[in-house]
Amino acid sequence: MTQMSARQTATLHDVPDDLLAAIDYCFEQGWTDGLPVVPPELSRVEAMCAMEGRPPETVLAHHPATGLELTVHALGVNAVMAGCLPEYFPVLVAAFEAMDHERFNFHGSTASTGGSAPLLIVSGSLVDEIGMNAGVNLFGPGNRANATIGRAVRLTLMNVFRMTPGISDKSTQGNPGKYSFCIAERADCNPWASLAEEQGYPDGVSSVTVFAGAGFCNVENHGGNSPEAVLDSMADAMANYGCISLGQSVVVLAPEHVNIVARDGWSKAEVQTYLFEKAQRPVDGMKRVGKFVEGEYKKQGQLEMHRGLSPSDIAITVGGGDAGGHSAFIPSWSRSRGSIMQHQPIGVCIDC
Amino acid sequence: MKLVDPTVTSSQVNNRRAPALTTLQGKTIGLLSNRKLNADLLLQETAACLIRRHGGRALSMAHKANPSAPAPADKLTDLSPECDYLLTATGD
Repeated sequence: MTQMSARQTATLHDVPDDLLAAIDYCFEQGWTDGLPVVPPELSRVEAMCAMEGRPPETVLAHHPATGLELTVHALGVNAVMAGCLPEYFPVLVAAFEAMDHERFNFHGSTASTGGSAPLLIVSGSLVDEIGMNAGVNLFGPGNRANATIGRAVRLTLMNVFRMTPGISDKSTQGNPGKYSFCIAERADCNPWASLAEEQGYPDGVSSVTVFAGAGFCNVENHGGNSPEAVLDSMADAMANYGCISLGQSVVVLAPEHVNIVARDGWSKAEVQTYLFEKAQRPVDGMKRVGKFVEGEYKKQGQLEMHRGLSPSDIAITVGGGDAGGHSAFIPSWSRSRGSIMQHQPIGVCIDC
Repeated sequence: MKLVDPTVTSSQVNNRRAPALTTLQGKTIGLLSNRKLNADLLLQETAACLIRRHGGRALSMAHKANPSAPAPADKLTDLSPECDYLLTATGD
């Protein structure tokens, strides 16, 4: 083994030129998420890191509890192992910069019994440029960019930030999204502004939104043919006693559902307001199931217990295949507002 | 072939254990709650038990603002000179 010169010292492992043996070697080192990885061969790592304009030792994110730092170089190694192509790398860089924002609460959301996984939503022209999937089988499987970008996030959390399952990651039941949780916003049937536009980025700038997601709830409705019918189904899922909290929400409307909602002229803000009003439970019911917290109730200032603090806590995007009345609700991690979703432009620095 | 190690060791982190107390007799106890359900109760009872056995006193309970975020450095530096040892707890 030899040492490389960098702020965070990286080690080179000399292994025989045998790819299958190298895959086994990665398992033996404890570098994987349980699935085989692409061995992080030096030239591939260098090609990955070359996609970032800043030097390899540039720090992208910090772990607030341990002080461990993520450099461009370390992210490049894990991106190679996940199977990423170099053109995906700017998404990963932006995602970790977004997760480094204090309000994302990087430590809690990755260590908690709650078992959240960072959901990445890529919005803008980059989706098509790097071949991401915003359509059928949105949450997977089947698309290399979606699958490997999400996987690289997990490998980085494990290898760089030491979020080791059972040791520092104390998730009670885990989450399939912890293997990979990355989607793209579908532009061709989105009647509203894209997430990147809503976030205020200039034309042509794509963004990644990161959200500590607690899981995935399929919202099926094939019979409802009005905005209210579709959105009542969604609101009911959002308000189920198992996950109602003051936390934020991500709602991914399928093309069939968004068509029903938008053909009657509903704006995204109207959808958010409707969902906020409808996604609620009575105080007595919250007390009955043992989930009433006086301080949270007062903080919200509503008669009933609603999901989130305001309509703007519900992020709405569009994605999925043309056929099927299947949308998705992604609840937030934690019982309260332990993590607030963040976003970052991809491949550009707006304030530089 | 040369494989690049995906793990890192940070030269910026220099954590080490504080020297162990030789006795708890008469010592001042700091209390830092994470604000989760029952955390305060757990800390109060533990401090009371230690005081019964070893004497000393407990400071007023300090709280983290967010149960799942690390304690702010200034909270720890404020507490540090005031107590001989600190109890913290994850109530739930």
